[in-house]
Amino acid sequence: MRKFSDKIATLVFWGTALSLGALLAGVLAFVVNRGWAALSWEFISEPPRDGMTAGGIWTPLVGTLELIAVSMVATVPVGVGTGLYFSEYATDSFFTHVLRQSIRALAGVPSVVFGLFGLSLFVIFLGFGSSMLSASLTLACLSLPLMVTASEQAFRAVPQDYRDASYALGATKWQTIRKVVLPSAASTIITGVILSIGRVAGETAPIIFTGAAFYTPGVAQSLFDEVMALPYHVYVLATAGTNIEATRPLQYGAILVLVGLVLGISSVGVWMRTRLTRGQ
Amino acid sequence: MDKTQTESDRDLPQVRTQGLNLYYGPDRVLWSLNFDIPRGCVAAFIGPSGCGKSSYLRCLNRMNDFIPGARVEGHVLIDGADIYAPGVDVIALRRRVGMVFQKPNPFPMSIYENVAYGPRLFGVKNREALDETVRSSLEGAALWSEVKDKLNTLGTGLSGGQQQRLCIARAIATEPEVLLMDEPTSALDPLSTSRIEELIRDLKSRFTVAIVTHNMQQAARISDYTAFFLLGELVEYGPTSRIFTVPEDKRTEDYITGRFG
Amino acid sequence: MLHTRKRGTTSPHFGGWGDRVAARTALSVSTVCILIMGFILYFLVKESLPVLKATTLSELLFGMDWYPQETPPALGMFPLIMSSLAVTFLSSAIGLPVSLAIAVFTAEIAPRRLRNLVKPLLELLGFIPSIVFGFLGMVVVAPWLQDRFSLLTGLNMANASALLGMMMVPIVGSLADEALCAVPRELRDASYALGATRWETIRRVVLPSALPGILSASLLGVMRATGETMVMLMAAGGAAVIPRSLFDPVRPLTSTIAAEMGETPVGSEHYHALFFAGLILLLITLAINLLSAKIEAKGFKLKGGNL
Repeated sequence: MRKFSDKIATLVFWGTALSLGALLAGVLAFVVNRGWAALSWEFISEPPRDGMTAGGIWTPLVGTLELIAVSMVATVPVGVGTGLYFSEYATDSFFTHVLRQSIRALAGVPSVVFGLFGLSLFVIFLGFGSSMLSASLTLACLSLPLMVTASEQAFRAVPQDYRDASYALGATKWQTIRKVVLPSAASTIITGVILSIGRVAGETAPIIFTGAAFYTPGVAQSLFDEVMALPYHVYVLATAGTNIEATRPLQYGAILVLVGLVLGISSVGVWMRTRLTRGQ
Repeated sequence: MDKTQTESDRDLPQVRTQGLNLYYGPDRVLWSLNFDIPRGCVAAFIGPSGCGKSSYLRCLNRMNDFIPGARVEGHVLIDGADIYAPGVDVIALRRRVGMVFQKPNPFPMSIYENVAYGPRLFGVKNREALDETVRSSLEGAALWSEVKDKLNTLGTGLSGGQQQRLCIARAIATEPEVLLMDEPTSALDPLSTSRIEELIRDLKSRFTVAIVTHNMQQAARISDYTAFFLLGELVEYGPTSRIFTVPEDKRTEDYITGRFG
Repeated sequence: MLHTRKRGTTSPHFGGWGDRVAARTALSVSTVCILIMGFILYFLVKESLPVLKATTLSELLFGMDWYPQETPPALGMFPLIMSSLAVTFLSSAIGLPVSLAIAVFTAEIAPRRLRNLVKPLLELLGFIPSIVFGFLGMVVVAPWLQDRFSLLTGLNMANASALLGMMMVPIVGSLADEALCAVPRELRDASYALGATRWETIRRVVLPSALPGILSASLLGVMRATGETMVMLMAAGGAAVIPRSLFDPVRPLTSTIAAEMGETPVGSEHYHALFFAGLILLLITLAINLLSAKIEAKGFKLKGGNL
């Protein structure tokens, strides 16, 4: 009886895992299968045409890359700096406690609330308008907790011996950080950045009312232009296009590119991290 | 097990090891072990670290089954039955062969639940029977008087020595015939150690005890038989009093007199 | 005070102004994180308070009608709040058991090779953008549901909840797996040595020991589900009524904000009401966050008693 229930349990767990795997493989195969037909060099390299019923996804694709770049420029220094503070400077003080709780709370804020916040602070209060800058800064806030956690872990993983060795040679704290701690932690931090990009690239809700455009004739040229983004483009085509059923191939194509982009970036990050942790 | 069989088993050694080889993948860990542990004795296994004494201990309740690539040749007979015969019920075997580990490892549950864990597994549901088992096991482990008023507090909250005695109580609650102890005092302070040694001497009236220790004085103090292992081989085995006074093998003598290890 | 080191034994000299600049910079940069969280709270409160001029708090929270475009607007959010709670509950009921089963599978049952393959894949799945799930809900799940159960629309609570449940699995599964793996080997050994089977060991020792970690992982999943927007927007149907059946369309707080913020004039009552909806969401997630911090602290204590 006891062995019987052990067998049943084992069977149930294998069953769950296998069916989940099959389901996800099926979904992925479906997306690839449908999207593959739409994929071509022109699809990638041409902007949408004819009221977004034809052409490609060049504009939203570039827009997404621009959003990623600007948001990372904003988030990486702050994230790494805060991680450095936690690992090297923080004492058990009230400030540190508040900081930790803030980051924890920030990590739980729903993405649409980040959107509201971006709208009220960047778009309206600071007067950036609905623009690439506002959207990127909103995304930067969203990815900040990820960046902080990743860099803090990276710094903490640097063995104390390295620091002691540097101090023993007469280095100051800042010299030690710059010459020893930062270089040792760099690859882990880069992994953190890549994983943050993977998270940010597909976000839709925070940019809907902070800077994502329904349609722009060309690629955004300045920080204050509105910008098309791939995930929002999919949303628009699927829900508000001029001819939703007729543009299905475009939608599948765009979804496939988005999934490919996000999973491509993230798998590099996951792979790098696996290698780094194995090396330790 | 019926009565007549128990009668005839009296003459058998409790644990008989015949031509036992153990491999971890390509590595041979134990080399053709042959020896008997008599009923109601304390047998101590000594030897330098990595000599295979703990691996041998884990052969006796088949805990080596969990190590990927582990393979056993030969026979271990407990009460005359080969525990490596095909179709042996490992679960039932482990009920008969209890084990206490190097580091105290109480479950993060109450003291009561820790001790009741084994009996519950084997289907004891009656509250009074459980209460009785918990009490007698804790008494058997010389812990009852210290914890009888706080049976519902966490077992992990006890001191190291108390935790180890709780683990002993947990192991004897299933009324095993053999009790395996893998360096049970190595993580404890001297005072707790001497309490546990005292306890082991008491336990042998009810169980056959097989204990691994790196502490030769401990082996001399508590055991009836001593086995000296070296590089996976059994160098010498015999009554403790003889091993520690007139060892037959030069290597045993060198080890006991502290020339290596 | 800033220079006090927590670790190590050496106490290096700090003299140069470079050191002081670096310390100050790290400190001020960290302050940005606090500022952002503070600003989020401040702006949500500031932008949502004016709605109380147009209506009362109890009307907002318990009003049954959500017609924000009418004059005067009806700003009752009860159906939205109930939709959010219903979808969160249903998706958790689907997603959490599956997540836990997957975690047990990877941590306790799968052979090591398979585990090393499955864990990174599971984590990668967590990166798939929610819009993808929303899209699939719209074009695949909805038509299927509609045909299968002859419904008016396949865009409904069951659809969105199933998708959300799926989305929980990678996050909750990965975290719960970590919690299970953190249970010391020795406890499993002790259980096996007492004659327990694998399932008994999992159920009676491993799962209870990992409970704080599993709970906090589950809460994170619940929090994500409450805040998820795109799936709700695309697959939930969007009717502002209290759901009475699994197949009723619903309109949770998140999708209401996302769908309506674009078309409402800044400063209108509707605009402020949407911020109020955001504030409710924020408070819910903060509460869940606090709860999970409590659980973690308790779990830490539990472990603290251990050797």
